[in-house]
Parts: sequence; structure tokens; C-alpha cells
Amino acid sequence: MKQDGNKNEAFSLKTRFKRFKRDSNRWSVFTLAIVLFLAFPILFIGIELFAGPGDTWGHIAKFLLPEYIFNSLYLIVFCSILVLILGVSSAWLVSRFDFLFRKQIEWLLILPLAIPSYIVGYAYAGIFDYGGSLELLLRSLQLDFVRIDIMNRAGLACVLSISLFPYVYVSARAFFLNQANNLLEASKMLGVSEVKTFFKLMLPIARPAIVAGLVLVLMEVLNDYGAASYYGVNTFTTGIFRSWFSLEEPETAVYLSALLILIIFVLILFEKWQVRKLKFTTAKTNSTQMQRKQPNTAIKWLILAVVLVPVLLGFILPVAQLLYWAVLTASSVFDFQFLMISLQSFAIAMISAVITVFFALLLIYFAKWSSLSSIRSVARIGILGYAIPGAVIAIGIMIPTLALDKWLIKMLGNFGVEAGLIINGTMLALFYAYAVRFLAVAYNPIDSTALKVDNSIPDSSKVLGVGNLKTFFKIEFPLIKTGVFSAVILVFIDVMKELPLTLILKPYHIDTLAVKAFEYASDEMVMEASIPSLFIIFTAMIPVIFLNKLLIKR
Amino acid sequence: MLMIDALSKSFDKGKNYALRDVTFNLKAGHVCAIVGESGSGKTTLVRLIAGLERPDHGSVAINGKVIASLNKFVKPEKRKIGLVFQEYALFPHLTVMENVLYGISRIKHKKNRAQEMLDLVGLTDLGERYPHQLSGGQQQRVALARALAPEPSLLILDEPFSNLDAMLRTQLRNEVFDIIRKTEVTVLFVTHDTQDALSVADEILILQNGKVVQKDAAANLYVKPSTLYVASLFGSTVHINKNLQNAFRCPLKETCCHAIRNEKIKVNPESGDYECEYITSAEVVKKIPLGDSIQLLLKLESGEQLSVMTRDKNIADTISIGFNSRDILEFDHEH
Repeated sequence: MKQDGNKNEAFSLKTRFKRFKRDSNRWSVFTLAIVLFLAFPILFIGIELFAGPGDTWGHIAKFLLPEYIFNSLYLIVFCSILVLILGVSSAWLVSRFDFLFRKQIEWLLILPLAIPSYIVGYAYAGIFDYGGSLELLLRSLQLDFVRIDIMNRAGLACVLSISLFPYVYVSARAFFLNQANNLLEASKMLGVSEVKTFFKLMLPIARPAIVAGLVLVLMEVLNDYGAASYYGVNTFTTGIFRSWFSLEEPETAVYLSALLILIIFVLILFEKWQVRKLKFTTAKTNSTQMQRKQPNTAIKWLILAVVLVPVLLGFILPVAQLLYWAVLTASSVFDFQFLMISLQSFAIAMISAVITVFFALLLIYFAKWSSLSSIRSVARIGILGYAIPGAVIAIGIMIPTLALDKWLIKMLGNFGVEAGLIINGTMLALFYAYAVRFLAVAYNPIDSTALKVDNSIPDSSKVLGVGNLKTFFKIEFPLIKTGVFSAVILVFIDVMKELPLTLILKPYHIDTLAVKAFEYASDEMVMEASIPSLFIIFTAMIPVIFLNKLLIKR
Repeated sequence: MLMIDALSKSFDKGKNYALRDVTFNLKAGHVCAIVGESGSGKTTLVRLIAGLERPDHGSVAINGKVIASLNKFVKPEKRKIGLVFQEYALFPHLTVMENVLYGISRIKHKKNRAQEMLDLVGLTDLGERYPHQLSGGQQQRVALARALAPEPSLLILDEPFSNLDAMLRTQLRNEVFDIIRKTEVTVLFVTHDTQDALSVADEILILQNGKVVQKDAAANLYVKPSTLYVASLFGSTVHINKNLQNAFRCPLKETCCHAIRNEKIKVNPESGDYECEYITSAEVVKKIPLGDSIQLLLKLESGEQLSVMTRDKNIADTISIGFNSRDILEFDHEH
């Protein structure tokens, strides 16, 4: 009886409220403010839904929406199948077998991530085009050329798959290498064959890891604008662009965005369900690393040939095509203006990376310093932007900032000050959008390094009389520096590659390399797009290798 | 000096309590050991006192000032409590000297004070080293120097010796407490080892499942344990249940629970000079040699099993065992 009495007392509404009052501090308020700030564009889309659709919605819903839905689903299904085949098979082969150049292949398989999908799209269009590289090659060998038309749904699905499969490869390989060894040994001891072990044991237990990678791929597929528009495939994202730029109907763009968010929400639920369903399979990480098998020479060569296919398709062929074009167009593309665009691109990426990392740090540490345990789960809402396509985020920022600017101009007008747009169409909006979109990219590496610092370290600083902020600068920051550094680099590359969001939100006079490449390609000057594309690829490559080093270390 | 009142903490909104209604006081200058198995709430208790957790109920006061309650919470950095963590928690990127200086950046002559502390813990010349260049014992002493430097009103040691092996442990324990006694600071010392507690503490607080089961002077705990659990923490103990009472023909009060320490059960008392009030015969099931003594597994006529220790090497298959009523421990409740 006494126990129940105490329980009621300690967790009655009144004491709960007292504790809430005691434990909510300014950090709790700051965390909430940041979460709201970062989630605002997405919330806005949700709220705006109630305002009703635009005039053309009826037309779009009748004639275009079925096509958007069909194409997006087609891409989801087709890409899923292809990336699973490419990603899982290569991950299994490099983690299970030893063969010639295995170590080099291991990181070459990640390199396709350095090339934005739309650039892979341009390269393949060039390879298969009339008078394209394939035709030239076959003619020089005196072979007949049968043209394959890839500028369609199926072609787009292939291009997206070969450029995005490394997401599945990376997460599947990490799982195979770190988690699977003792199960594999147990299976061997039971006398089960290699093939059966793979299909009956490895594939099912690796499913959560594979699905996690797959969901990332599908988010990128739904985010893609550059490749889909170049291949003439109507998807949700191209639909959003069309209703924004051609139809000039923001309400319709909002409706399409909301539908797209719904699809992504289903994907995330699917992933959560998969991961939870198979949670029990995740063995402890301290199990031994996978021991690689030494197959005989013929099989070694066969494996090498198999794993070279995705490397060739995803990296070597597109880069070769771009290099070829670059040689042809170098003299016309390289000029002072191009140099300025490159510098702008670097500067924008660097500044946004720093801003985004700053927000990630605020979110992680403010939530830590807030004594309300519920705040920590709220903080994670702030990183949802990674799932939302850039075009959607852009719409979610464009419409409200436009309204805000109109209000500001009116207010300033009252004081006799004439002002132009302050947020909308300026760098401010762009930096904000990048922070919303890429917060998770910064949050995750920092959070995982911060988790490695034992709580007793900052705790002992506090017990020694040093407050939160000073503890952060003197103790915690020095210990998480590498995480912060890799976060800056990762966001930097993502901003360099970003296209749809930048296209919608960038100021008129500002260009990035990605936008330049897109503009060349849309203006029937795809060859000229090669040099800005190669610039993006080479900047993105260095950190991809660096990222792989981190991965291998782990 | 330290006053804890009805302190409770739950990590799952009241389903289970890590700590429940803990109340005790600690006098200035005393060394109090908190003893309990893992999961008994020891660490939660010290974290609540240090301000690293917030109580769900109850209060903590130091020198008459409330530092944690439902309405009030003084941040850990304002509490002036020294804490030595189980894993030492030295700042890995700072030298030993910088570690010790860390908590005293605002005082005058901080360098002198830090050096004084290093001298005190016997690490005079190691100020320039980094934590990873030190042995476990040295790291421990740096952690102690760092905690003592700001002259805390209360020093908490959270299982400071549990990472060390047995030999080093005893030596380091004596060293550390020699240092601590020189400073006359009030100490809360968390341990799961009763030997540690008995050898250094003025008083001992026993925690079981988040509740205080006994708090007493170290000497009293052995003689007057309040529960069977406490009794068995400080030496193996036999619960004298109904069957044993019948076997020894010693009727005891039914409202109480009784026990006897194994060492108080005498083997073949009639052969020595012992006189036992209660005697019974037992069959020796197994003899386990333990060096200087032998453990005997016995089976009584009633079928009860019992184990006793003897130094007698010549043990027959059937022996007699007995004990005296003055050695019987009596508890209020059966725990």
C-alpha cells in the first residue's frame, strides 16, 4: 500500500508538473526553437494543404497525376531490384572472398556516390546517342550499330540505379564485415554450403541493414530532378517544378509536395518496421571480423570480373565519357566566368557546411543540456529534412519567405524605407534550405563521435565547477573534432552536388557548378556540361575516399 | 553535513525505482561507505547527490542548504562536491597538471595549489604527462588530486578500486585513504566490496534494491545486522529455519527470523573445549579442501543440507555440530 502511495505521489500530475518546471531550462526552449525552425518548411507544406488546391489541380489530377504516380512507382520498383542486385552482390563478394585488387575495388565501389545522378544521366545519354561514343566505337571496329534508346523510364531507372547502388553496398558491407562472422562460422560448422548460407542465413539477417541502404536510394530517386527532366520522364519532382515555374501555381506545387512526403513517409515506416522486426539479429559488435575465403584462381578472376561491372558502369564509363567531352569543349568553357562560378560554388558549399554543422552541434548539445528527457526525441525531428526532396523543401521555404518579405517591405515602407526582397531570392534562403536538407548529414557523424565520449568526462568537468558552454569548448569539442570535421566535409560535397533545391531558391546572379551543368544540358549543350560536372566529381571524390577510410577503421 | 530525505529516482516513470525513499545523514569529517550489489542504486544515489541526475522525489541538503528537491535544483557546477569516477574520467587531451588545474582556474596561486595536490598524491614529477602515459593506479591518484584541488566540502568516490586487481586494490585503497585523512574532508565511498568498506569507513550504509536496509557504525554491522541480507553480506550465514530448529532442538520465536554465522557452528564440539547448547549429528557428504581449512557439506538427519568450515583434518563420516544461543542473530522480518 505504501509503495503505491509513494508511486502516486512521485508521479502524480502535480509532482510531474513541479519537476517539469524545475527541469525545463533555457536549453529546452532553445532546442524546441531550433527544431521548429528546421522543421518549418515541412510543417508549412502540411498546413498549406488546408488552403485548397490551385485552379489547374483538377486538370493535373486527371491527366498528369496518374503518370506521376505510375512513373515514381515504376522507378521505385525498378531501382530497388537493380540496386539490390548490384549492391548486395558486390558487398558480399568483397567481404566474403579474397581476390586480386580486392582492397582497391572495395573503395572503387563507393566512388559512384561522387557523381550526382543527373551527371551520370548526361554521360549515358552521350554514350548511347546518335553519333555517340558507343556508335563511334562500334564503327571503328567495323561493327553494326543498333541504337538503344535510353531516354525513357527504363533508361532513367538504370541510370539512377548504377549511380545510387553504393548506398546499399556500404550498409550491407558494414553489416557483413562486422556482424556476420560468428553466424557464418556456426553455419559452416553445421556443414551448410556457401550458396545456401548466403540465401538462407546472410540475406535474411542482413535485411535491416540492406533495407536502410535501400531507403536512402529511394529517397534520392524521389529527390532527383536533373536526370528525370533530361530523360523526359514526368515524376512528382518534375511535376513540382512544372507547376512552380511553368504554371506558376504554388498551391499545386504544395499539393504535389504533400503527396510526395506521404510516399516517403510510407518508405520510412517500411524501414522502421523492417528494422524492428529483425532487431534481434543484430549481434554484439565485439564479435570477430569476417574471415575471407581464398577461392581458386579461376574463381578469383571471375569474382573480379563480376565486381568490376558496377565500378565500370557507375564510375569509369561515365567519367571517361565526361573526360572525352571535356577535351572537346575545354577551350570554349574555361573562361573567367567559369572560374567565378567555381569559386562561388566552393564558397556556397563551405559556408552552408559550416552553418549546417553549427546547427547540428546546437541541436545535439542543447538537447543534452536540457534536463527534460523528452526533449531528446523531439530534437531528432529536426533532422527529418534528409528524407524530404530538395524541391519540396524549396517550395516550403519559397512561399512563406515570399509572404514574409512582402510584409517586411510593407512595414519598412511605413517607415519610409524602400527595400527589396530580404530573404526570398537571397543567399539567406538558400543557406537555410541547405541546413534543413542536410542537417542529418552533419548530425549523424557528430552524434556518433559524441556518443563515444563517455558521459563521465563532461560530468566530471561540471562537478569541478565548470558550466555547460565552457565544458563544451574546453573538453567536448577537442574530443569530437574529427566528427565535426567529417561532418563539414560531407555537407560540403552534398551542397556541391545539390540541384533541385538550388535551382528553385538561388538568387538570379548566383550560379553553382551543378546549376551550370544542368543549364548546359538543358540548352542542348550537354558536352559543355562535362567540365563543371568533372569539377563536382573531383571535389566529391577526395572525401568519398576519406569517408571509406573512416568506414574501414570502424 | 549531508542530509538526504526520502530521495527517489525512477528511470521508467515510476514502474521501477532505482532508488526509493532513501533517507540518511552524514556528519562532517566522517567516511561513509555505501555498500550494495550492482543494481542496488549506489551509483544513482551519488549521481543525485552530485547533481548529475535529478530526483523524482525527496531532497538533498548540504550544510543545511537544500541543493535538490522538487522545487529546487542547484547545478552540479555550483555544488562544490568532489567526485572520483569509477573509470577516473581524466580529460585525455590535457596533461596531468592541466587536469588538476581545471577545477581551480579562478583561485589565486592555482599553480601552487595544483602542485601541492600532486605532491600530496605522490605524483610530484608527472605533471607534464598525459593520462594515457600513466598506470591505472597513477590515473586514479590524478583523479583524486583533481577532485581534492577545489577543496570540496564532500568527496564522493564511486567504486574507485573496482578496475584494479586484488593485490593492487588493497595497497591503493590504503594509500588513497591515507591521503584523504590528511585533508579531513567528508567522504562518501561507494563500493560493492564489504572488505573495502569495513577497512576504511566510519559508518556503512547498505542499499538493497534501491532502499536503505541498514546504516550503522562499521563495527556494529557485523554484530548486529538488521536483516539476513546484511548478515550474509559480511560473512556466510545460515538461516535457522523451522527444520533446523527441529534438528537442533532449539525452539525460537516464531515472529522473528534467525540466523547463525557459519564460523559460529562448531564441528565435534565435545572433542574440543567448546560447550554448545544445541547439538545434532550430521553425515559428511563431501569434503572440499581449501588450503588451511576444509569445507564440509553436511546432511542432517532431517534431510537439511548445511555447509561448515573446520581446520580439523581428521573428519569421520558422521560428526556432530553445535552452536550457542548467544551467537544466534535475530531479525524482525524475513528478507
